[in-house]
Amino acid sequence: MIRRALAWTMSSLLVLPLVMLVLLSLARHWTWPALLPTQLQARQWQDLIADSSTLGPVVLRSLGMGIGVAMLATALGFVSSRSVARHPRQGQLLVLLHLPFAVSPVVLGVSLLYTFLRLHLAGHIAGVMLAHLVFAYAYAVILLSGFWNPQVQSLVELGISLGARRRQVWLQVLMPLARPLLLVCLFQTFLISWFDYALTLLIGDSQVATLTVTLYQYFSSGDIRLAATCALLLLAPPLLALGINHRLLSATVATRLEAHSD
Amino acid sequence: MSSRRRFDPWIGLLVIMIAGPVLLGLGFMLLYSTGLIGLLATGFTMRFWTQVLLDGQTWISLTYSALIGCASLGTSLALALALQATLGARLRTGALRGLLFLPLAFPPLVAALLSVELLGNAGLLARLAHAVGWIERPENFPTLLYTYAGFGIVVTHMTLVTPFLLLLLDRLARHESVAELEQVARTLGASRWQAWRRVYLPVLMRASAPVLSVYFVVLMGAYEVPLLVGGQYPSMISVLIQRRLSQFDMGTRPEAYVLASIYACLATGLLLVLFASRGWRKVQERGA
Repeated sequence: MIRRALAWTMSSLLVLPLVMLVLLSLARHWTWPALLPTQLQARQWQDLIADSSTLGPVVLRSLGMGIGVAMLATALGFVSSRSVARHPRQGQLLVLLHLPFAVSPVVLGVSLLYTFLRLHLAGHIAGVMLAHLVFAYAYAVILLSGFWNPQVQSLVELGISLGARRRQVWLQVLMPLARPLLLVCLFQTFLISWFDYALTLLIGDSQVATLTVTLYQYFSSGDIRLAATCALLLLAPPLLALGINHRLLSATVATRLEAHSD
Repeated sequence: MSSRRRFDPWIGLLVIMIAGPVLLGLGFMLLYSTGLIGLLATGFTMRFWTQVLLDGQTWISLTYSALIGCASLGTSLALALALQATLGARLRTGALRGLLFLPLAFPPLVAALLSVELLGNAGLLARLAHAVGWIERPENFPTLLYTYAGFGIVVTHMTLVTPFLLLLLDRLARHESVAELEQVARTLGASRWQAWRRVYLPVLMRASAPVLSVYFVVLMGAYEVPLLVGGQYPSMISVLIQRRLSQFDMGTRPEAYVLASIYACLATGLLLVLFASRGWRKVQERGA
């Protein structure tokens, strides 16, 4: 009975933030001490869709950057992870892969700003994407390293012994085998770029407005309604993924578990 | 076959793309903070390093970041362990099974925004307190955000970290067959509490230690949450670095780089110690 009540309470608490965000984004009047908005409106959402000069391009820019970073990181990570998995100094390479996460995005952003300014990359989408790629690429290699097990190696050798060329091995053996993991990697690396705030702010030099940067601007200007709307937009891809397949998000747990239990 | 390993271009790319920016950034920060480059460069000087190293705020900020990291991780872990011990298999059934993944979809920025709306003086908790007659006005509600103790930061981190740890512990418990081990302990006469404390807890802690250590480093360097719900003083290290960098006075910029260099070295050192201790433990395990 107690367990059931606890499970029910926990479920409610887990849903509460999402309900709160929806209410905040739809509230017209929600003044103290009302527990619920006294008036609702869909104006924020209509404005968001109609306001093509600001938020529309922001969403498209964030999506484009996320997709670009995810595709590059996954492609590079897939090939590099094979080299890492077979390398005699795999442990040292694993330390290297964790380096950007240890020094934190703010420190990395602060330290790279000058170099990026000199290279005319600061304040540009390309520069921000390159900075995101450092984290996404490292993450992709950590995630995909687990794919290269002896069974995969045996299948590769079988393919070669049956006359397959290198390209055929990659396209017709490895890619189909790794497809589920590659999808997870694409999604997770997309989220690295999609959720980033600190690097975008620093390397973007306040000139690359993504959804996170815009959310912060709305929040600091006191416009909680639009900030909540931005937050819901930010949550849309991961929530969609959660609805489609748990695995896309559960990989967050699995990757960290596998990467640290080698 | 040659005894020398052939150069692998993919490893080369990896080193350039991942270690490259970190080392490049660190090198730049060292040059800038010693007055060798930058707009106000006047030649080699250790002035900025001396200033920052003698500034109490540097050590307060670093200690504060470590304490907040510890408190966030410690409370999240305690809560996750308690929930896992209480709910057990129920975590994998019904609505809870899917809902536990929900917080993984929340970036820190959104979590911080929600904390403001839930824990603020006019937030939902304060409104509930008013509804049950505990308070009259928003200012009667205890201040939970922007406090010296960093309560808001810890609670926000807790909401983000606890579900992740709960999922992690649940996976580990199944992976390490903890239930079976616990059952053996119970059969041998251990009470439920003894089995939990002497079997369940050590096995899970040992298995999750590497993830927890990395998580601690990440929480120590957190930026968005302390920026939105943290107080002005003391500041967590990432916030302090960013503030010093974005100040109008260009003279504080080298100080920001000194701070960032110190933090980068500390975090990298922690990471190296973590991996080295894991390597050492593996050697010991092989020897045993």
